[in-house]
Amino acid sequence: MDGNGRWAAQRSLPRTAGHVAAEAAVIDVIEAARSAGIEWLSLYAFSTENWRRPAAEVDILMRLVRRAIRKHAPALYARGVRCRFLGMSDPRIPAPLARDITDLMTLTGDNKDMTLTVAFDHGGRRDIVEAARSLIRAAVPAEQVTEDTFAGHLPYSDTPDVDLVIRTSGEQRISNFMLWQVAYAEWAFPQVLWPDFRAAHLWECLDDYRRRQRRFGDVRRPTTMGEGQR
Amino acid sequence: MSQTAAEETADVFGPDSMLRRLSDEARWGLAVTRATVLEAAHPQVGTALMANSTFVAHPWRRLRNTLTSTQRLLDEEQRVRTREAARLNRLHARISGSDPQGRPYDASDAGARAWVVATLFESAVTMYRLSGQSLDGPALGRLYGEFRTLLSLLEGHSDRLPATVREFWPYFDDMIDHHLENTEAVRVILYRLFTDVPAPPLLRASPAAWAAGRAVAGPAAAAITIASLPESFCRRLALPDVPGARMLMHAAYLGTGLADRLLPDEWTSLGTLMSLLDPSHTGAPGPWDGVRRKAEQAAAMFRLVTPAADEASETTLSADRFFAEVLDQTGDGYLAWPDLAAMAREIATRLDLDAPDEERLFTAYATWWRELQTELDADDDGRVTRQEFAASAARLPSSGLIRIADVLFDVTDVDDDETIDGREHQALFRTAFRRDLTGTGESWSRGAFVRQFVSFMTGQQHSVAYDSLLT
Repeated sequence: MDGNGRWAAQRSLPRTAGHVAAEAAVIDVIEAARSAGIEWLSLYAFSTENWRRPAAEVDILMRLVRRAIRKHAPALYARGVRCRFLGMSDPRIPAPLARDITDLMTLTGDNKDMTLTVAFDHGGRRDIVEAARSLIRAAVPAEQVTEDTFAGHLPYSDTPDVDLVIRTSGEQRISNFMLWQVAYAEWAFPQVLWPDFRAAHLWECLDDYRRRQRRFGDVRRPTTMGEGQR
Repeated sequence: MSQTAAEETADVFGPDSMLRRLSDEARWGLAVTRATVLEAAHPQVGTALMANSTFVAHPWRRLRNTLTSTQRLLDEEQRVRTREAARLNRLHARISGSDPQGRPYDASDAGARAWVVATLFESAVTMYRLSGQSLDGPALGRLYGEFRTLLSLLEGHSDRLPATVREFWPYFDDMIDHHLENTEAVRVILYRLFTDVPAPPLLRASPAAWAAGRAVAGPAAAAITIASLPESFCRRLALPDVPGARMLMHAAYLGTGLADRLLPDEWTSLGTLMSLLDPSHTGAPGPWDGVRRKAEQAAAMFRLVTPAADEASETTLSADRFFAEVLDQTGDGYLAWPDLAAMAREIATRLDLDAPDEERLFTAYATWWRELQTELDADDDGRVTRQEFAASAARLPSSGLIRIADVLFDVTDVDDDETIDGREHQALFRTAFRRDLTGTGESWSRGAFVRQFVSFMTGQQHSVAYDSLLT
């Protein structure tokens, strides 16, 4: 979800105005993804690196997230969306926000239509380190460590591999996002800034993705994508 | 404990022990509550309860501890039984003093302990009778034998209880007629506890719903309990006879009897009740888990849709709230040694500490209490008032606290690697990680652990973990 700051700067507004405007895009994308039959949607809301931003901006961001959670919780619940938050281990996350996030996860825990993973205070490398620690703690012998067993120790290990990553505002970097899960992902880099990103942009990306041929390193079995995007 | 007593318990608490079966049923909680009123009317027990027990401020925790302790005392393994008996004896040995009239009390008093067991037996018999499952002569004799064995497990002998059921009833009547009193503890249980009982952990998030339900259920529970007590007891203590209460009581007990016969066993098991009292209770998923989950979801929804409280007030505990919720364990409005002893007891019970660690913990708490008394007790009356605490809350002495944290660290760091990892921390605070968040790989060095504990215990920082242990 890139481009909030630039979106605000283009309008001579404070950076935080971009974050406020981002809320509408988030809701629109969740709804569009749900209607497109996407069962797994992940949003990169806040990285471990984002703590370096000015304290006032972080503070406002936290308040905005809390406000958005409280505002949209009933709708997310009613729409059958299971919400999960990936990361969330920094003690700087305000306690009321942490409680609301826990409440949202409790509330929507039984929903089945779509799983929305919000990467919040997330770092892909940290997840991998966590998985390694977890393996060591579980005393798994070295020869038994395979890609599958390793993946089983990642946080939310039931999350499938990512099929498509959309990074808005033309930025072309991974930025420590779900490093393990994006190994075979297709990437899309629309120029539009996140606050302007709407359902139509999502459909364009999905359409483009459907026309790609995914070979997973094999030259004989090209796979054209159809249903079940993540 | 004598060898004979150990052998006797091995025989009596066999696989078809009546007492063990009873203690696995949820309705045992009803009998225990009724027995508590009868116990509290014993002058020594009543005074000990008022002076030391946390049952007013934390009734659910107290009920849960009592039920857990009973289950351990009746465990199939003799090792567990003797360990629990030894723990209870150590715990009781620390509870003694004198009442306002100067009469001494002692939780290790053999007569008082016999009376506690007697009330449990009589309440069990009454529960069976009122729920339409009266025990016949041989069953009654067997159950009584098991209760006597329970007493001998604690005391080493059961001489203070009559040898047979026939002799038990005259003893019971004599206790009611000549030894029981309308103690403060009885009045507090019947008139304050039932009407003011705080929400059980599961419903803490919905205080308004709890208060509304309690307004009806509280007086009803008090009326049911009074109506189920022996008439001579009610007469002696001048307890009120509310019209319709007996009918309500019969309906309630019959209901439990029917539930016991008609519902599947796991629905009416004590584990189910425990899981309702204590959300962190770990056990196999039961039939009520679905209901509980729905209740949690409803509570989560309720919290999310109600206007958010002021964020600043939530991040720090006010000195007043901290005093009421954490420090004043006995709920009498003062901070005194029994409050700190109750905290030590709670931690020792939860962590099932062995004797040397328990001793270290109590010594550390005693050190902290001496510090608090020296620094905070401005008027030297031997206790710290809310005002005295508020005046010094910002600079609480903490060297005793560091010693407490040290003990906690040592017992938690089971692999002695001077680091508490996520799993060890979780074992210490099972409830702490109910936040279903990732990143539990965090670990604590001794210094970090001590800092976290001290900043919670001085009221400077909220902690989901410690809140769940001590509030």
